[in-house]
Amino acid sequence: MIEEGNRKGLIEKLIPRVLKATLWGALTYVFVYYLPMLIYPMDLLPLEYSQLFYLFVGITVFFTVVTKLFSGTILEHAFGIARALIMIIYFIAVFDGGIISLTMPMMGTTVNLAVDLKAFLTILILVNLLGIAKSMFQATKFLAKKVETSQLSVG
Amino acid sequence: MKPAIRALGIATTIIWIFLIAFSVTAVYSVMNLGIGFGEAQFFPSSEGVVLSLPFFINNSGYYDIYELNITTRIKDSNGTFLTQSKTFVPSVSTGSNIESAHNISIELSDVMERIELIFSDSFFVFDTFVTLNFAHIVPVQLSMNMTVPWGAPFSDVSVGEISVDSFNSTHVRVVVPLSFENHSFFDITGTMQLEMYNDVDELVTSGETSLDVQSQSTYNEQVDMYLSLADVSKLTESGRVHLIFETSMFTVEQWIPYD
Repeated sequence: MIEEGNRKGLIEKLIPRVLKATLWGALTYVFVYYLPMLIYPMDLLPLEYSQLFYLFVGITVFFTVVTKLFSGTILEHAFGIARALIMIIYFIAVFDGGIISLTMPMMGTTVNLAVDLKAFLTILILVNLLGIAKSMFQATKFLAKKVETSQLSVG
Repeated sequence: MKPAIRALGIATTIIWIFLIAFSVTAVYSVMNLGIGFGEAQFFPSSEGVVLSLPFFINNSGYYDIYELNITTRIKDSNGTFLTQSKTFVPSVSTGSNIESAHNISIELSDVMERIELIFSDSFFVFDTFVTLNFAHIVPVQLSMNMTVPWGAPFSDVSVGEISVDSFNSTHVRVVVPLSFENHSFFDITGTMQLEMYNDVDELVTSGETSLDVQSQSTYNEQVDMYLSLADVSKLTESGRVHLIFETSMFTVEQWIPYD
């Protein structure tokens, strides 16, 4: 009887989380994939860059879903830190350390194009580092609140 | 802790908005950048020729372009450096349209130093580097190399069968058929001196003729030289013809054997 009540409570708790996570996942997908595709068709990008874009969409949607799914727990902040770290690695890999090099045929000759995105990459890394700092503060706050609550209940 | 979290949240949001806005507007600006090239033209200059490559940039994006620098280095077919030209455009602001030309000066003295370029077709290697700064934040570098054919002004110079016929009671006429093709982009106007040497390198006779050969055309003429009857014995069946081409741009010489 108690077990059945627990399961019911768990399902009641889980369903809104799953719905919330699904909704956020769908919204993120629209903003990260659908809208950019309307503005800039990915067919114009070289194949390796379009694949990296799909990877970016995958990472963003996945972490949005899991963060919302575990919201209100310490895992929410852990996933926030993990997302920021993965994003830093991803951006460094995609921007090739800050310089994107492309070779393309043009007017019967081969053109080498190098775009220096070091400043842009630095800002991207910084914003993710700020995200890590924010998640760490939130995790500390969450743990402090938990300890406080448990001490109050013991007292 | 709460104010710190809030401050970090606000800062992160502002930076993300800035990054997304910049990315979208930068992509839009690049897509709306009109760049075009006109037809390359050769112009004569005091020192040689100028290859002029007109271009235009129509910046209808949101960001200015700064420090557009076009550098072209020309090397010959052996990779030896010939000349370098630079074009600098300080800025192309948003909504503006600039028309300019990248002028590559080729000094004929540099070309004349390589005698093979006068008599044989070859090619030049153009290494072009374009650097610019997009929106003060994104430096862009573009490089390409092109092979440009070079047509020799005196290509395939050849001397035909030399004939001797009587001219008057004191002289004979030596007729030298001479041909070459002007593969260059310029017309050849000047004179050509011929000196005929026998098999012991003794000057037999000489003559001069005027030249007016259009670009991409063939010169095929007979040059008449006169020899006194007393010197006819100097004429041998084999020897060399010394050709001296003199134009307003250069003077070159060539030895052609005959037999």
